[in-house]
Amino acid sequence: MSADLSSGLNATVATPAPVSDSGLSAAPEPVPAAGHEPSPETAPSHATTGAQEPPAIEVRGLRRVYKVKPKPVVALDGIDLDVASGEFFGLLGPNGAGKTTLIKILTTLLLPSEGTAKVFGFDVEHETAQIRRIMNMVAGGEQSGYGILVVREQLWMFTQFYGMSNKDGWRRTDELIEAVGLQEQKHQRVSTLSTGQRQKMNLARGLLNDPWILFLDEPTLGLDVAAARSMRELIVEWKAAVPGRTVLLTTHYMAEADELCERIAIVDHGKILAIGSPEALKRRVQRESIFRVELDQLEGGAAMLSKLPGVVSASAAAGAEGSEVSDRQVVVINLVLEDDSALGDVVGALAARGSQILGLRKSEPTLEDVFVELVGRGFEEGEPSEQVTG
Amino acid sequence: MTAGAATTGREAGVSSRGRISDLVRSFTVAARLGWALEANWTDPLLFFIYSVAKPLSSALILVFMLEVIGGPAGRSLRPFVVVGSALWTFVVSGISGLAWAILEDRERYRVLKYVYVSPSDFLVVLMGRGVARVAVGLAGVVITLLVGVTVLGVTFDLATVDWGLLAISTVFGLVSIVALGILMAGICIQTRQESWSYPEAFAGALFLITGAVFPLIVLPVVIQPIGLLMPLTWWIAGVRQSLFPGGVDSIGGPGSAFESIFGHAHPGTGEIALALLVTSAVVTLAALAVFRWSDRRAKQAGLYDQTSGS
Amino acid sequence: MATMDFVGRAGKSPREAAQWSRRQVLMTDLRSIRGRAYPRWRGLFREKSWVLFEILLPFLGTSAFVFVYRALQAPVEYVGFAVLGGAMTAFWLNVIWMMANQLYWEKTQGNLELYFASPMHFMSILFGMAIGGIFMSSTRAVVVITAASLLYGVQFSVDQWAVLIVVFMLTLAALYGLGMVLASLFLVWGREAWHMGQLLTEPVYFVSGLNFPVARLGFLGAVSVALIPLATGLDAMRQLAFAGAAFPVGTPSPLVEIGILVLMSIVSIAAARWMLLAMERRARRDGRLSVRWQ
Repeated sequence: MSADLSSGLNATVATPAPVSDSGLSAAPEPVPAAGHEPSPETAPSHATTGAQEPPAIEVRGLRRVYKVKPKPVVALDGIDLDVASGEFFGLLGPNGAGKTTLIKILTTLLLPSEGTAKVFGFDVEHETAQIRRIMNMVAGGEQSGYGILVVREQLWMFTQFYGMSNKDGWRRTDELIEAVGLQEQKHQRVSTLSTGQRQKMNLARGLLNDPWILFLDEPTLGLDVAAARSMRELIVEWKAAVPGRTVLLTTHYMAEADELCERIAIVDHGKILAIGSPEALKRRVQRESIFRVELDQLEGGAAMLSKLPGVVSASAAAGAEGSEVSDRQVVVINLVLEDDSALGDVVGALAARGSQILGLRKSEPTLEDVFVELVGRGFEEGEPSEQVTG
Repeated sequence: MTAGAATTGREAGVSSRGRISDLVRSFTVAARLGWALEANWTDPLLFFIYSVAKPLSSALILVFMLEVIGGPAGRSLRPFVVVGSALWTFVVSGISGLAWAILEDRERYRVLKYVYVSPSDFLVVLMGRGVARVAVGLAGVVITLLVGVTVLGVTFDLATVDWGLLAISTVFGLVSIVALGILMAGICIQTRQESWSYPEAFAGALFLITGAVFPLIVLPVVIQPIGLLMPLTWWIAGVRQSLFPGGVDSIGGPGSAFESIFGHAHPGTGEIALALLVTSAVVTLAALAVFRWSDRRAKQAGLYDQTSGS
Repeated sequence: MATMDFVGRAGKSPREAAQWSRRQVLMTDLRSIRGRAYPRWRGLFREKSWVLFEILLPFLGTSAFVFVYRALQAPVEYVGFAVLGGAMTAFWLNVIWMMANQLYWEKTQGNLELYFASPMHFMSILFGMAIGGIFMSSTRAVVVITAASLLYGVQFSVDQWAVLIVVFMLTLAALYGLGMVLASLFLVWGREAWHMGQLLTEPVYFVSGLNFPVARLGFLGAVSVALIPLATGLDAMRQLAFAGAAFPVGTPSPLVEIGILVLMSIVSIAAARWMLLAMERRARRDGRLSVRWQ
């Protein structure tokens, strides 16, 4: 990864501002229906209010119906959403959930059928010019551009669409080519780029105008592991480099949403099922902390641990008590704690009984577990939802 | 004959039949696809106008040119220009059909590479894809001729039609048009997305030297032999001769290159048929050679899955 | 990552950054024209088949009409008419295929939605396409006129060069304005636009009198002169380029036709601006900015 993304920064890469979960520790309610004010559970805890800067994204009662044959498709069915300035927000859902439709509305490419949507207070329907000046978008699998041009020319062309002078345009182009790691391909025709290279170029195009808000629609779609990782790192670095940069990411890769996003909205069939930080969402499924502990021995057995404060249950892992790993005895215990803070007492108790901890692994639910709980099916088991391209 | 040889012979027979059946199936599927693409998403009225308005307009341009200069005296030439113009619509459609199939499938639908790597013969599929446009062109020919006869005063007597010459001309004319389409398709594999106009430009150039709307004798003598080498020249002459026997000859005449080469002023029916056969064969072989060369070059350069807009 | 001053990020909020001055808007539009013309310009030098297929072969096609007139032993001015018509065809085809219909391709490639998501006016993109294609069209026109003059003995007799140039420029303005109007229709018509493009070739050639004086069409010719920039401009240019030649009466004088062209230019550009906004809104409503195979 190029270090040039960090060049020009005054500080090290900033970590995202932590999102307080205080409003999310209780049983989360579904997003309020259209027309209602967003509840504390769903609003960003550091959302601006009053006469301050408006939120980066504000959506109320958004509906979008595609009039297709044989019957209309409701792609968005009453979405309410707030994204604060400077937030890294994710839309997670299976194919056909409505993520791309929402992005297209926010990027002024599509009109809503009902409801309102605003980007930094500008209405997507009537103030498109203002929005287009401060945003940009990158989609996965994008094949835009002109095959006859080389990478450098392609990017320069887009700088002109944002009003940069000739000199500034070439300079900006060269900066971004270096930042995304396409120096060797800069004189290569766009039509000859590999998928990963093409997507890097697309990302560079999306950053040309230094947008206040960047919309990413499945940006790692079709990329191999290394290319996808590189893409994510670039995005994180870009966002962290300047305060106030906002990112809205849509994805159906749970790990990606988990890794990148401060808050996630889980979307299915045009509705938001839940919003929260990844941790808060997972806590819906599993409020306790579950650990798998490997010990060399345990006096008194697992039942002894159950009596410790903060321990909900402790049991030997099935078939694992007294098992052998290589040449030594291993005792494996499944430990369920009220929360992580109880682990300290457990470790102390184990040490007091002379047990040596050989391994400790926390078992966490995934966002798919969250989705399953919300919807009753996995991402891959989708009922044949009618998808509309565009 | 041994059992082994009999088996081999039977296998060879089955293999040939199977191969032919595969080719036929590829062609029919591609033709149905081509027809679905041509007829899909368009308003039927627009489609009808497209098959009528373009060829009729082309004919009317020439008819008016005759009127402007020749006045009533020019009307004797109307059959000549109406037939030539009507047939030229067919030429343009046929040549465009295969070339546009390449451009559409590569640039728009992005399926060209998948078609190419399928077991079906690429050229056969291409011909099937192009045949829809040939059919559209044929509709234009018929309509233009009908309008010529019913509205523009072109006299036509069914009893005097030379059906034999018409049949030969039609078959070999179609072969040569498809061959030229293959040639253009080979060229369009190498060119960029904006080459939609290339087939029409190519047809426009041929328009000059094939006696379509004026006799070859009008051209400089040094240019006329180029026209004589083109199968379209003989095809148009053959159709004219078969539909309007005794009309204006588009190929020969006193002082023409034809007379210099063959020793007499006007070609007979047999000469027209033979010349059409020979020139069609030559052009077909040349077109196939160009296509194969283009195919090899495209594979080397990776052109089958590149888009190339500007 | 370094920020750019033009964005004015330092000290500005997003709402401030979104408010551009008129100068910024104008410069963005002008630079966008340059940006969009660039791939066309580059393409000319990277893929040179257009020299044969866009210049030389069309010249041969025009020559066919020259020989029709020769076969009819027409006065030499008529050969000149056909040559001038052939030269202007280049610009008409540029408008139809390289501008209006081009949006069809831009949509399938995914460029259209990127253009609409960008801050410049969409007319800048269309202008850029037009300007990028004008080199090719102009080259074709020059080759046709020059070669025809040399090979076929066409004699131009121009008394009023300034007026001829004005007519030519106004014809281009009106043509390209019409092209933008058509482009806006093509935004919503999808694949039918392709067929409309085909319909705008031979039928327009006929009613515009591309190869013969449009006055010969009588009332239809008069209507064409009033409505089709190609007909108006071509008729005016013929009258100016062949001053003194015997002309069929029935069409206005060049000065009147200049007035018609001025009106056409203003109306078409104004209509294009309005229609592009209206069609964009409709395309956004129907979701047609990014749906393929429509």
